[in-house]
Amino acid sequence: MNQVHKAKDIVSGGEWNYTTSAPVVGLDIGSRGSKGVLLLGDQVATVLNPTGLYMQETADELLSQLVRQVRIDRSDVAFIVGTGYGRISLKYDDIPYKVVTEISCHAMGAHAVVPDTKTIIDIGGQDSKAIRVDPATGKVVEFVMNDKCAAGTGRFLEKAATILGVDLRDLGGVALRSKNPAQVSSQCAVFAESEVISLRARGARENLEEISADIAAGVHVATARRVRNLLGRVGIEPPIVFTGGVSNNVGMWKVLEEEIGAKFTPAKLDLIFAGALGAAVHAWKFHAAATGAESPKKRKPKAGASPEAGAAVAE
Amino acid sequence: MTLNLEQYAKLIDDEQKAFQADKAVKKVGYICNYIPVELLSAAGVRHARLVKAGSTRTVSAGELYTQSVFCDFTKSCIGFFQESGSLYKSFDKVYNFHSCSTMKRASEVIEQFVPTKLLNLPKLRPSQDARDFFRLEIINFKNDLEELTGKPIAEEEIQRQITIYNRARRLLKQISDLRKDERPVLTGAQFLDITLGYYYLPGDKLVPALEKVLAHLQAKPRGKARPLRLMVSGSIIADGDRRLLDIIENELDARVVIEDHCAGVRPFYHTISETDEPYRALANGYLDQAPCARMKPLSDGVEFSGRLARDYAVDGVIYSYLKFCACYGVSKKEFTDEFRNQKLPVLELSSDYSESDHGQIKTRIEAFIEVLREKQSNHTREQLHA
Repeated sequence: MNQVHKAKDIVSGGEWNYTTSAPVVGLDIGSRGSKGVLLLGDQVATVLNPTGLYMQETADELLSQLVRQVRIDRSDVAFIVGTGYGRISLKYDDIPYKVVTEISCHAMGAHAVVPDTKTIIDIGGQDSKAIRVDPATGKVVEFVMNDKCAAGTGRFLEKAATILGVDLRDLGGVALRSKNPAQVSSQCAVFAESEVISLRARGARENLEEISADIAAGVHVATARRVRNLLGRVGIEPPIVFTGGVSNNVGMWKVLEEEIGAKFTPAKLDLIFAGALGAAVHAWKFHAAATGAESPKKRKPKAGASPEAGAAVAE
Repeated sequence: MTLNLEQYAKLIDDEQKAFQADKAVKKVGYICNYIPVELLSAAGVRHARLVKAGSTRTVSAGELYTQSVFCDFTKSCIGFFQESGSLYKSFDKVYNFHSCSTMKRASEVIEQFVPTKLLNLPKLRPSQDARDFFRLEIINFKNDLEELTGKPIAEEEIQRQITIYNRARRLLKQISDLRKDERPVLTGAQFLDITLGYYYLPGDKLVPALEKVLAHLQAKPRGKARPLRLMVSGSIIADGDRRLLDIIENELDARVVIEDHCAGVRPFYHTISETDEPYRALANGYLDQAPCARMKPLSDGVEFSGRLARDYAVDGVIYSYLKFCACYGVSKKEFTDEFRNQKLPVLELSSDYSESDHGQIKTRIEAFIEVLREKQSNHTREQLHA
C-alpha cells in the first residue's frame, strides 16, 4: 500500500500531466481509512492508514510518512488539499491548505489515472456516489450520493464480514464461491444485519461455508443494487471507473458489473487512493495558480512549524 | 417608520410569551395553511400555527406515540405537547383541516392532550362540488369556533379580516420579491423568520409590522456581489429547522433566493375575494392557493414550483424532503423532472432532525455548489470568448 510509483506507470491510455518540481499533497481522511498521495517530479507516493480518533493526528502521520518516502522535509511541501469526511477538522498554519469535497477529488483522481473516464462509481466507508465527469477537464458534471443511511456502503459490507467472522478483505472472495446468493433486503443496513444473523442461524454445521458464501454474495448483491440505482440517475456512459475502498473487493466488482451490465475500466493504481490523488492534483493546480506558473518552491525555514508538526517530522 | 429584523423577531417572541400568559381569551392551535386564519381572528381567539421543529429530544418524545418511520416534523408536533414551557401546552383547542395523512394521524394523537377537531379538506381542486362542500365545512368550522368562545362571529368581521390578511399576504410576497434582485438584501433564512409573524402575530399587529419591515429592507443597501442563487423545494422547513439554510448561507456562502414549501412564500401567493359572500370567498381562495403536494392535480403544484424557479432566476435547486414524508418524498420525481427540464441542476436530500449527519449533508451541498460554480465560470468564459 505504502509505495512510490512512477507516474507514467499508473496512467492508462493517456498522458500524466501533473509533473511537478514542488511537492504537493492530497489527504483523504475517510470515515474508515485515511489515504495520502504526494506528487513530486514524476513520482507518486501513496500511504494508507486506518483513520484514528483525532483527524489532525491521522493527517499528520500520513504527511510525515509521505515526505519520508520521497526523502524531503515536511516544510518542503508546497500545497496540501484535504478531502474526505475529516477534511473540515484539519488545520495547517505552515503550509498552504485548501479543502475540496471528495466528489470533486474522486472525479479528478480517476481522471488522472484513466483520462477518458466519463462515469465513476465510488463506494467508501459511509457514502457511495455516482459521478459523471467531463473527460476534457476531470471536473464533475453531475453526481448522486446515497441517502445518509449505511445501506449500499462499505460499512454495510464490514458489518456483514463481522457477523460472518470473515476478514473484510476476504469477503468478496468468499462471495464469489456462492452458487445461490441469499436474499438480503436492500432497504436498510440495520434490518439487513438482523436478516444476516437469522440466515446464519439457519445454517447447519456441515454447510457453514456454503451458507457463509451465500450470505456474503447476498450482501454484495443488495449493496450493488443500491449503487446501481444511484447510477441510474446520472446515466452510465463508459469508460466507467470504480473507486473507493470497496473497489478492492473482487466480489463487489463482479456483482456490480453484472448489475449495471457494463465493464469497469481497470486502473493501474489501487483506486482506494482516487480521492487522495485527486486532492493532490487539485493541490498541484492551486499551487500552479498561486505561483503563476509551475515553479519550484523555495525552502522555508523550519522554525515556523507548529510543535506537533515538528514532532511528526522528527519521528 | 422601520422595524429591523431583530426588533421584529422580538415582537414575535414577546407575542408568544403573552400568548402563553393570557388566560382571558381562548387560544387555538392549527395545523397546516389550509385553515382560514381569517375566521380564527374574526372569532377573537388567539391563534398560532403548529410550525415548530423539535430537537432530537422532542422528536423522541413524539416517538412514544408513533412508529419510528414517521416524519420528524410530525413527531415534533406531538413531542411539543409534552414539553414543559411549550407554547403548544397553552392551546384550548387544535384544528386540523385534514392535512397530509401523517399530520392527520398526529392530530388524533394530539387529541390526548388537547381537544382537537378534524375538518374535511377536499383535495380535488377543480371540482365545483369540492368547493361547495369546502364552503359548508368552513361554516362548520365557524360554528365550532362560536361554540368554543360562546360568541357569534359577525360576517362584517370576517370581511374585515379577509382584507387584513390579504394585505399581510401581499406584503409578505412583496418582501419575498426583494430576493429577485441580483444582489438581494435578505437571506433565505431571514425571509423564513419574517414569515413566522404570519403564524404567531394577530393580524392587526402583523400588517403594520410587515409594513415597517418592508420599509427597513427597501432602505437597506444591496448585497455586494451576485451570490449563487439556490431554490429549496420539498417538505416543510419548520420554525427551528435552520440547518440546511445555515449550511447553504452561512457555511457555504450561497443564497436561498426562493423556496417552495409550506413554511416559505407559498401561502402568500393567493388573495381572497373581498366582494364575494365570505364563506364562498374563503373556500375558493384557499383551494386556489399555490397547492401543497397532497392536492390534485399534482401538476398544479409542480407547475407553481417551476414558475418560482424561473421567476427568481435560480442557478440550481435543492429538493429536500423529510424522511418518510409521503407527500414530497413520493412525488419527488415529478418535481425534480420539472427542474431538470428547465436545465437546472438538482440535488436531492432526504433529511430529518438528527444532528449527527451535518458532515454528510454539508459534503453533498458543498459538492453541488462546486459543480454550480464550475458551470458558471465555464459560462462566463464562453461569454467572454463569444
